[in-house]
Amino acid sequence: MKYVVIVGCGQTGRNLALELSQSHNVVVIDKDKQALDVLGESFNGKTVVGDALNVEILESAGIQEAHALILLTGNDNFNLVIGKVARRKYGVEKVVLQVYEVKKKKLFSEEGLIIVNRTYLLVEVFKKCIL
Amino acid sequence: MYIVIAGGGRLGYLLAKKLQSDNHKLCIIDESLAVCEHLAEEFRGLLVINGDASDPEILTEAKVDKADVVVGATPFDEANIIICNIAKELFNVKRTVARVNNPKHLMLYKYMGVDVPVDSTSIIARIVEEEASFSDVMSLLSIKKGRLSIVRVDIPKESPVINKKLKDLKLPSNSVLISIIRGTEIIIPSGMTEILVDDEIIAATLIDSEKELIHSLIGKL
Repeated sequence: MKYVVIVGCGQTGRNLALELSQSHNVVVIDKDKQALDVLGESFNGKTVVGDALNVEILESAGIQEAHALILLTGNDNFNLVIGKVARRKYGVEKVVLQVYEVKKKKLFSEEGLIIVNRTYLLVEVFKKCIL
Repeated sequence: MYIVIAGGGRLGYLLAKKLQSDNHKLCIIDESLAVCEHLAEEFRGLLVINGDASDPEILTEAKVDKADVVVGATPFDEANIIICNIAKELFNVKRTVARVNNPKHLMLYKYMGVDVPVDSTSIIARIVEEEASFSDVMSLLSIKKGRLSIVRVDIPKESPVINKKLKDLKLPSNSVLISIIRGTEIIIPSGMTEILVDDEIIAATLIDSEKELIHSLIGKL
């Protein structure tokens, strides 16, 4: 049973939260309450409405105890700032974040951040399908 | 000095005006083409780059590696933090300064090593508080996690220290008067300096002695 914090409750965040909450402790943060409401009754975890750039919000979601942090807001810089702080300040073991800009993926990968880039993934998948 | 400013909005613009008049070399980066065109028309000898300042290639183009200071002046805290962070860690820039748009984000600026986060909202709030308050005492600054405090005390008519020389005052031992503001004059006091009504006294004191100091200067709390 892992303690997982997810920031950003869009499509990916929502599906991930629903799935992970079946077997792990999950907290989802989003600034928009409606986005969190969409999780529905089958979601078996906690939600926090607020701005994750505010450390009080991060701490109220229990970032200190988290095993993993998943950052899925649509904003690269936002994901990177929180990701780095989670590693450095709160010592979160696994930090996974989505970044749209490929150049930033290279730049920040060394910091113990696991960076996922959609375009890169899709290109790899398409390549595998064809070749 | 060579200074790179990220964000050409009102703050970036004013800053560029000021810094250019002080003969600094400048570069401004902004995402908006319209803003960049306007800046390029307005300023002579200013390097203007249209692009995302958190993109390392744009920062390379701005020669950030040669910059003495990088200023994050965009309206987005996450962008300012990342720009300063890249400038420091990738380009070894010595000094990074950024505008904190939302005071609640200040801690992240600190955690991410931004050298000088300027929290304008809190600064303005303090000035407004000072201007709006009727109190004779204003705490100006606290240092060393609040143990040392610098206060401003306005000397009222009923103060027991009026027309007395500093050497004759009984002040708590852990406090010192730094200066006396009398109208437009600023006096660095000596033992022979006399205190007059309506003087503004700036004093430094250990926090434990603050109340006693104020009491001895204005006669009440």
